[in-house]
Amino acid sequence: MKTRKYPFPALLPFLILVGLFELLPLVMVVFRSFMPENGIGLTMTHYVHIFTTRLYQQAVLNSILVSSVSSVIGIAAAYFGAKAVHEGGPHLQHFFKTILSLTSNFAGIPLAFAYIILLGKVGVLVLWGKKFGIDALANFNLYSVWGLMIIYVYFQIPLATLLLIPSFDAIRKEWKECVSLLGGSSFIFWTKVGLPALRPAIFGTVSVLFANALAAYATAYALLQNNFSLIPIRLSEQFVGDITQHKEFGSALAVVLMVLMVASILMNDAILKKGPLLLSSPIGKKEEKT
Amino acid sequence: MAYIDFLDINKSFGKNHVLRQINLTVEKGQLATLLGPSGCGKSTLLRCLAGLEDVSSGTILVDGEDITGKDPKDRNIGMVFQQYSLFPNMTVKDNIAFGLKLQKLPREVIEAKVSRVIDLVDLGGKEKEYPHALSGGQQQRVALARSLVMEPKVLLLDEPLSALDAKLRKSLQAEIKKIHNDTGITMIFVTHDQDEAMILSDVIHLFKDGRIEQSDVPTALYTQPRTRYAAEFIGHYNVLNKRDFDKMTGEEKQDEFPVDSSLSDTDGLEVQDRTSVAIRPETIEILQDDSPAYRFAPAADRYLLPATVVDSTLHGNVLRYTLDVQGVRLHADILFRSFTLYPAGHRLTLSVEKRNCLQIGE
Amino acid sequence: MKNRKSSRLTAAVLSAYLLLPLLMTLLYSVFSKWNDILPEGFTLRYYAELFSDKSFGASVIRTVLISILPILFTSLAILLTMYVVILYLPGLEKYIRILCTIPYAIQGVILAVSVLALYSNAPGLLSDRTLLLTGTYCVAILPYMYQGIHSSLLSVNAPRLIEAAQMLGAGRLYAFFRVVVPNILSGVVISAMLSASIIFGDFIIANTLGGNYFETAQIYLYQTLFESGQRTSAVIMVLFLVTLLISTIAFSLKKKERRQE
Repeated sequence: MKTRKYPFPALLPFLILVGLFELLPLVMVVFRSFMPENGIGLTMTHYVHIFTTRLYQQAVLNSILVSSVSSVIGIAAAYFGAKAVHEGGPHLQHFFKTILSLTSNFAGIPLAFAYIILLGKVGVLVLWGKKFGIDALANFNLYSVWGLMIIYVYFQIPLATLLLIPSFDAIRKEWKECVSLLGGSSFIFWTKVGLPALRPAIFGTVSVLFANALAAYATAYALLQNNFSLIPIRLSEQFVGDITQHKEFGSALAVVLMVLMVASILMNDAILKKGPLLLSSPIGKKEEKT
Repeated sequence: MAYIDFLDINKSFGKNHVLRQINLTVEKGQLATLLGPSGCGKSTLLRCLAGLEDVSSGTILVDGEDITGKDPKDRNIGMVFQQYSLFPNMTVKDNIAFGLKLQKLPREVIEAKVSRVIDLVDLGGKEKEYPHALSGGQQQRVALARSLVMEPKVLLLDEPLSALDAKLRKSLQAEIKKIHNDTGITMIFVTHDQDEAMILSDVIHLFKDGRIEQSDVPTALYTQPRTRYAAEFIGHYNVLNKRDFDKMTGEEKQDEFPVDSSLSDTDGLEVQDRTSVAIRPETIEILQDDSPAYRFAPAADRYLLPATVVDSTLHGNVLRYTLDVQGVRLHADILFRSFTLYPAGHRLTLSVEKRNCLQIGE
Repeated sequence: MKNRKSSRLTAAVLSAYLLLPLLMTLLYSVFSKWNDILPEGFTLRYYAELFSDKSFGASVIRTVLISILPILFTSLAILLTMYVVILYLPGLEKYIRILCTIPYAIQGVILAVSVLALYSNAPGLLSDRTLLLTGTYCVAILPYMYQGIHSSLLSVNAPRLIEAAQMLGAGRLYAFFRVVVPNILSGVVISAMLSASIIFGDFIIANTLGGNYFETAQIYLYQTLFESGQRTSAVIMVLFLVTLLISTIAFSLKKKERRQE
C-alpha cells in the first residue's frame, strides 16, 4: 500500500498568518494581563484595578449600557423593518434593501460627523429647533451618553434588519392561514406564532449587535475623543497617545472586553439550545449583508 | 479469464468494518451490478476500484495488472456519479473533451471523438449548452459521454439514476443497456433498486453488511435465492419459518424435506426455526370455483391449501391477495385478467407446486 | 396578510431616518454657509480643494493598496488550506473554522492593540508598520473570506467535482485549481468586495498600527474633522461613493451568479 504524502507546505501561509497575527497576539495579551507592570510573576492587580477604579468601572458600565440599549432599540426597529420587507411587494423589497445595504456602510467617523452636523452645538436640527421653538431639539446635547446612543442605534438598524430579513422568509404563509382559519387576527399570529418562531434569529442578531457595539471605537472617538469612558477608548489609550504605555493593564482591559464579547455569543448559544430550533442563527450570515 | 479481480478486500473507516473479505470477479464486457441496501459497502467497493478510497488490505487486479494503490488518474477507469458532477463553468462539449484535453491529443482527434460520443448518448445539438440549462436526464448523459469518450477499461456507475424520477429512470436504464450493447465496455453498476438490477445486469452481486451474500445471473437470483436475506431483497417472496410452513401444509413431520445436516441446532434453536421456506407470490395458483374437478384432487407434486382472503391490492396489472392459511399469512400475485375480485372473508383453495417452495438457510 | 400600507409606511419612515444623515452630509459639502434654517452659497470648491490636495489622493491610494494585499494573501492562504482539507484531512475543517471565527471576538481595537503591543519593539522586519497593518487586516477579514470560500465550495460540491476530474485523468492540484477554483471565483470576489469595504471603513486598526507611518483615507478624514466641516463632508461623500462602487460590483456579481443557477 502506498503511503501518501500530505502537502503540508500548502498549510504554511495560513498557519503563519494565523500564528503571527491572531494566536500569538491573543495569547500574549492574556498572559500580559496577569503580569505586573515592569516585573515578572502573576498578579490580578490589573483586574482589581479595573473593577475598583471609578474611571474603568464607568467604562465597563457605559460600554454595557450603550451596547445593550442600542441593540434592543436596534432589534425592535429591525423587527418592524424586516416585517415590512416580508409583507411588502417586490418594489418595496428592492428599494428598502438597497437603502439598508447603502447605509450599513455608513458608520464610524463619517456617521459621527453627520450627526454633529445634524444635532451638534450648531447642528441643523438644533438650529431649526431654536427657530421654531422646539426645546427638545434646541437644547439637545449630542456630546453625552444619549447622543452616543442615538448614533449607535443608527448603525445597528441596517445590520440588524439585513440579518433578520432571511428569517422572516422562513415564516410560511400556511401558518398564517392556519391561524386565520382558527379565528386569530394578524396580531395574534405575530405574538403567538411569528415572534416565537423568530426567537432564535432575534436573539442571535442581538448578540451580533451587542458585540458589534461593544467593539466600536471610531464613532465614539470621533464624537467624544477620550472624554467619555468606554472600554475601547480606555483600551486604546493604554497603548497609543500622549500618556505612557501601560501594556499590562491594557491587556487586562482587552481581556475584559473579549470576555464580554464571548459572553454574548455564548448566551446566544444557550438561548438557542433552549428555544425552538426552527430558524437558524444569523451569526454566520453577517457577510451576506452586501 | 477474469478481467477484474477483487482479492480478499477489506476496508475499514476507523472502527467501521465496511468491507469484509470480499472476493469478486468481473468478466470482460460484462455488466455487473452490486446490489444492496444503504451502508452495505457496495459503493465503497466501487470507490476502491476507482482509487478514490484506499483498501485496508487486499489486492485489485484489472486486466492482469495490480492497480491497488495507484492514483485514480493512472487507472484508466471511468466513473459516473449520482449527482452527475458536471463542471458548471464548462459547456457540454468542454465537459466531454476535458479528459481528452488532459491527454494533449490533437484538436481534430478530440473533435471527432467528442462528436461520436455525443451521437452515442443522443445529445446532438446541445454541445454549447451549460449544465445548469440541461435536465437531469441530459446531465447524466453528458456525464456518461464524458467518461465513455476516454475509452476506459471499466465504466463505474454509482447509483447514477437514483436522483431521477421513475419515468426518466426507465428510459435511461434502456439507454445504458443500449450503450453497453453498442460499446461492449465492461461496466459495474451500483444500485439499491432490485428492479433496476434485474433489468440491466448480466450478473448481480448481492451485498449484505460488507459481504457478498449471493452472486448469480438475474433469473437465477430471482428464482433461487439461497438465503432469507436474498429472498426478502429480490422480488416479493413469501418467507416462512419451516415451522409455519409445516403448520400451513399440514406436514408436521419432516418427510418431504431432508433437513440439511449443516443446519444442526448448535445454538439451541430448533432446525424448524432456522430453516426458511420461500415461495414466490406469482407461483401460488388460486383455483377458481369453476376449475375442473381434478384440479382439486390431491397430487404428489403440489400442495392444496384452503385459504381465506384477508385483503387485496392492485399493483398496476397485478392483483395481490393477502391470504390466511391456517393462521399463516401469504401473498399471492395474479395477473389481473378476469373481472373477479374476491372480497375479504371469501374462502378459496390455493395450489402450490412443491418445487416452488424453496428451502433456504438464514 | 400583506398589509401593503403599513409596511410601506414603516419602510418609508426607516428609509427617511437612515438617509437623513447621508443627505445632510451631501448638502453640507456643497454649501458654504449654514447658519440659519437653510444653507447658502452653493459651491463645489470643497471638492476642488480636496482633489487638488495631494495628501488626500495619496491616502486613498494607500488605502486601496492596503486593501488589495490582504485580500489576495488571505484568499490564497484559505484556498491552499481548503485544498489540503478537502483532499487529505477533512477532519481539520472544524479547527480551521474555529481559527477563522476567532477574529469576530477580537475585532477592531483588541486585535489592533494586541498586535501593536507584541511587535512594536520587535527586531527587524516584524516591526515594520506597513507589514503589521497588512497582517492585521489579513486576520480581520479572515471570517468573511473564509465564510465566502467555504460556502462556495459547499454549493459547488467541491469533493465530487475533484473526484470527477481525477477519474478523467487530472491530478489533485490540477483538479482543485483548474476545475474547482474557477467555479468558486464569483463567491471569492463577493467576499473580497465585502472585505474591501471593511478595510476602507476601518479607523482603529489603521490609526493604531499605521498612524503617522501609513496614513489611510480614514486617518486623513479624522484629521480633516478638526479643520473644516465642509471639507470633511466632501471627503465623506467621496469615500462613500467609492464604497458604494465596490458594493455595486459585488451586488451585480451576485445577481449574475444567481442567474446561472
